[in-house]
Amino acid sequence: MLDWLPENVSVFGEGVDHLFRLIYYISIAIFLLVNTIYILFIIRYRRKRKGEKAYHYHGNNLLEFSWTALPFALFLFLAFYSDGIWEDIKYSEKKPNPDLVVEVMGQAYLWHFRYPGSDGIFGRRERRFISPTNPFGVDPEDPNGRDDLTGINTMHIPVNKTILVRLSSMDVIHSFFLPNMRVKQDAVPGQWVDVWFNSVKTGEYEIACAELCGSGHYLMRAVLTVQPQREFDTWIDEQYTNKRVSLASAQATTNE
Amino acid sequence: MEAALHTGHDGHAAGHGHSNSFIRTYVFSTDHKMIAKQFMVTAFIFLFIGGAFALFIRWQLAYPGEPIPVIGTMLPSTWVNDAGAVTAEWYTQLLTMHGTIMIFAVIIPLLVGTFGNFAIPLMIGADDMAFPFLNMVSYWLFPIAGLIMMAGFFMEGGMAASGWTAYPPLSAIASPGQTLWIVSLFLIGFSSILGGVNYITTVLNMRAPGMKMFDLPMTVWAVFITAIIIVIGTPVLASALAMLFMDNFLHTSFFQPENLIVPTRDMSRTAGGGQPLLWQHLFWFYSHPAVYIMILPGMGVVSDVISTFARKPLYGYRAMVFAIVAIAFLGIVVWGHHMFQSGMNPLLGTTFMVSTMVIAVPSAIKTFNWLGTMWRGKMEFTAPMLNAVAFVSMFVIGGLSGIFMASTPVDVFIHDTYFIVGHIHYVLFGGSLFAVFAGLYYWFPKMSGRMYSERLAKWHFWITFVTFNGTFFPMHILGMGGMMRRIYDPTVYDFLKPFQPMNEFITINAMILGFAQLLLIANFAWYWFGGRKAKRNPWRANTLEWQAPSPPPHGNFDRPLHVYRGPYEYSAPESVQDYLPQTTSPEDLVEQRRHHEMRLSQVQQAEHLD
Ligand code: HEM
Ligand SMILES: [Cu+2]
Ligand SMILES: [Cu+2]
Repeated sequence: MLDWLPENVSVFGEGVDHLFRLIYYISIAIFLLVNTIYILFIIRYRRKRKGEKAYHYHGNNLLEFSWTALPFALFLFLAFYSDGIWEDIKYSEKKPNPDLVVEVMGQAYLWHFRYPGSDGIFGRRERRFISPTNPFGVDPEDPNGRDDLTGINTMHIPVNKTILVRLSSMDVIHSFFLPNMRVKQDAVPGQWVDVWFNSVKTGEYEIACAELCGSGHYLMRAVLTVQPQREFDTWIDEQYTNKRVSLASAQATTNE
Repeated sequence: MEAALHTGHDGHAAGHGHSNSFIRTYVFSTDHKMIAKQFMVTAFIFLFIGGAFALFIRWQLAYPGEPIPVIGTMLPSTWVNDAGAVTAEWYTQLLTMHGTIMIFAVIIPLLVGTFGNFAIPLMIGADDMAFPFLNMVSYWLFPIAGLIMMAGFFMEGGMAASGWTAYPPLSAIASPGQTLWIVSLFLIGFSSILGGVNYITTVLNMRAPGMKMFDLPMTVWAVFITAIIIVIGTPVLASALAMLFMDNFLHTSFFQPENLIVPTRDMSRTAGGGQPLLWQHLFWFYSHPAVYIMILPGMGVVSDVISTFARKPLYGYRAMVFAIVAIAFLGIVVWGHHMFQSGMNPLLGTTFMVSTMVIAVPSAIKTFNWLGTMWRGKMEFTAPMLNAVAFVSMFVIGGLSGIFMASTPVDVFIHDTYFIVGHIHYVLFGGSLFAVFAGLYYWFPKMSGRMYSERLAKWHFWITFVTFNGTFFPMHILGMGGMMRRIYDPTVYDFLKPFQPMNEFITINAMILGFAQLLLIANFAWYWFGGRKAKRNPWRANTLEWQAPSPPPHGNFDRPLHVYRGPYEYSAPESVQDYLPQTTSPEDLVEQRRHHEMRLSQVQQAEHLD
């Protein structure tokens, strides 16, 4: 059954899958143990004639204690064991230094992506500047924002690099879900959340929205392209050129 | 205690004077048994509405965009497109209403409303609830609330459509149907609180003479603790609902940050500055305990049924009581496990993971004690017992899937996928609803004074059991594959396309499962009036309700009761029978034994003469 998990291509996804497998095997063991006993009892302890008496017995404290203590120990172990992996994934002080920062903004029903332009610095943003034409709320006064790249429903990242995604939403809550990277994080309006991940394999992967955001929720699909650094750089350059061209033509039209 | 019992009766007699009229007996009744039946019938109606909604959802998931067979083109144009297929808008309303109806209008009214009302006074030997009038109000709020919720159908934009969890801002900028949803839940909350106060008072004050707390059957313990959770948790839900109502209507911003971009609505008067996560904290602070509201009474019923039909004392009675208390109180500190990926500080994820893991312990204790009860028992597999036995094994699966989700890193992947949907249904259908079936069949003779058809009940059980697993088990696999919950069309995603055959398999099972519930209704409708007359104590059970006539008259018992022992003295050596009612006095017991020995010796003499 474990084969049904989608292929994992991220580093910390290993930890998630490892825990999944561990709990899976523990669960199967507990399930089989309980149900075998159960079925044996069902077969063995049937009433054969009316009025037949059963064993009059109220319980045993030692047993009671052991089936309290054993699950307690097991579940506590699972909690602390899981916590190590959780801290690596989520705690801000464990976050590795990112090679690339991408801002992601959810909007019903699409994803906006924003890359810092050639200067590597994002333009300053504020919630109050957000509008349908300015999804990230970039301060129009800030020169750093001029060269920022934004796009819709396509995200590119270099392979084997640590990516930091800064996540928020323009309207309702969405959830940024990368099945193959084992990433899921709600995008909450009015709040920025950092998520990091790292893909070890090139290819195209799907991005989905995992939190109900309206009747078009199912349409909120984007594509993540993981490519070698060189190709990624080319892509960024292309985007940058496109942006300059369109900016120039826009300027040309306004000048006319 | 005697005094309280007395007052209860006086209050009753006063309202009793002109109770012969139809309205007083069947509509505005203050009799706890009639109120229980009213809850039951209303909940059944909602069960079929919620079930039909589920089947529309399943149809769409198995055959996205295809017309609904037979009735598709007959449905209103606000629900289906021209071809008769479910629209995305209606789909979202359906999943919202399915969840809300099943939780608030089916499971809670059946477990708490029906069993709480029917069983508490009878099982503690009281003639009615402490506050019969409040009890009546508690019932009547429920159908009114249900109608208000369904009225969304006539509003622009249809019924509520932001999921049963109603996360703002989605629910704060919604259509009028959402407002009706809020008002409706608010009323249902009051219904619960009135019921809860009644249960607590009744259990504390109106137990029969001689009955100590530790003589209470598990059903009463469970509903009693549940009532405490209700009284603690529901006001929090009510206040959250009030805030959401104001966010929708009065332009407040409890849950809305500054400058939300909502093209469909004028947001200029909404100042912002609120926090969407606040709703989630308040909602789950109620709704996690609410999942225990939906399982504890079931656990109580199942404990009683298993002990009765295994003819064995409940294993570890006190441990079972303490486990319920532990679940109830730990249940108040685990709500954050619904919010691991919500953007809440991950440090809180750690603490909520630990508390959630710990709460699985009392669940394990209960399971082992049920096994212990069956060990060396003499089990008879009647319909109630079959359903109770299924409950235990389904609950184990639901508890184990809970462990996956409790582990925060695993939850990153399976949160908001079909894995959660699988979990919910294993605990709420495999758990709560099987317990409801067990309880309904168990008390059918007492409620109606007739016997149900065992044959029909067994058909109902087996079909339900098989198709239940066929429907919900594969959902765990869908979740492992990453299929998001609440999506209208999974085939939009390449990674979900391979799961379409599984979705079809689920839908076929779900159809059979849905229609099989007609067997339950047929059994009830037919045998309620036409069944064989039931004896007082057809299951030869120990608890007090079986000392009353079947069905019990107004005021319940036809003779004074005194309680001498706990509820689970099955197969006790001091009794000549395999059961020993709580009301049998030590003198009666001696008498019984003398009688029995006399008969034995007569038989021996007769054999001797041969
Ligand atoms: C062993 C005991 C249990 C554990 C460890 C457990 C754990 C969890 C966790 C961690 C979640 C959140 C998952 C997520 O959204 O990512 C969850 C969801 C849920 N649980 Fe449980 N659970 C247990 C028992 C129960 C019981 C007994 C019930 C009800 C009778 C229940 C009903 C629910 C429901 C309705 C949800 C989903 C809410 C939603 O998002 O719609 N659980 N459970
Ligand atoms: Cu969405
Ligand atoms: Cu919970």
